[in-house]
Amino acid sequence: MIPVTKDERQWLLRQLALGLVEYLGVTEPPVPVEQLLRNPPALYDDDFGVVDMFSNLWDATFARPPSQRGSIFVRMDLDKENRRYALARELLSALITSKHGRKMGLSELLLPDLRESAEYFASQLLAPEPLVDAYQAQGGDDAGFANAFMIPAWIAAERWLEAV
Amino acid sequence: MSMKALNQLVARSIIDPSVVNAFSYGDIGAVLSDLDFSSDMRVRLEHLEAGSWAEFATLAYRLVKAAEETVRHVQLPSPLEGLLPGDVRADEQVA
Repeated sequence: MIPVTKDERQWLLRQLALGLVEYLGVTEPPVPVEQLLRNPPALYDDDFGVVDMFSNLWDATFARPPSQRGSIFVRMDLDKENRRYALARELLSALITSKHGRKMGLSELLLPDLRESAEYFASQLLAPEPLVDAYQAQGGDDAGFANAFMIPAWIAAERWLEAV
Repeated sequence: MSMKALNQLVARSIIDPSVVNAFSYGDIGAVLSDLDFSSDMRVRLEHLEAGSWAEFATLAYRLVKAAEETVRHVQLPSPLEGLLPGDVRADEQVA
């Protein structure tokens, strides 16, 4: 495997997120991440699912039981914004471990920095550059950013700084 | 335009198996020919040696980025030249 810089990894993650946003045909925020998981592209039928559960240990985690569909197990008491972020973050694990993701060779590039990659991927999926650009062009400001994109405030603050 | 084309290609690859299949079968040239790459860049991309699609995408990013940075560098005026045709260089003024 070739060594990959942070810039290269983030570029790849941005494009993967944009591919999914384009698949959804989203033209304005918020990006419907749960819809993507419940109605995935056909090649991910065996990889995307959402299971609500009680947990005090974590917000969400992806698991693929042997010979079963992969699913994101998510705490059912999360607020809307944190639920969307947790699902988007764990979606990267679903992609990496899917049949198509393995064929792409995503694991070799992304597993060594999975947590950081997943968090970056989630921020790009929920606030993709074209939608952020359009929001800013229409006079949207940082105060309404988290609300418009339905993302946690701390993610919104980071993403806004990146986009300015 | 090459970076835009590459971005489109990599974005498409996450939902369109035909892109990764073409790469796996050594036929990525057929996919590249539909995109807005210069003929020189297309040839260079076709000849990249990569062990996986993700590795190919990364190497392609390096190649396209380097090519676009070279073009930008060439387009910049030299700091030794005046910004306007009639400008006199500072060292000539001193002399």
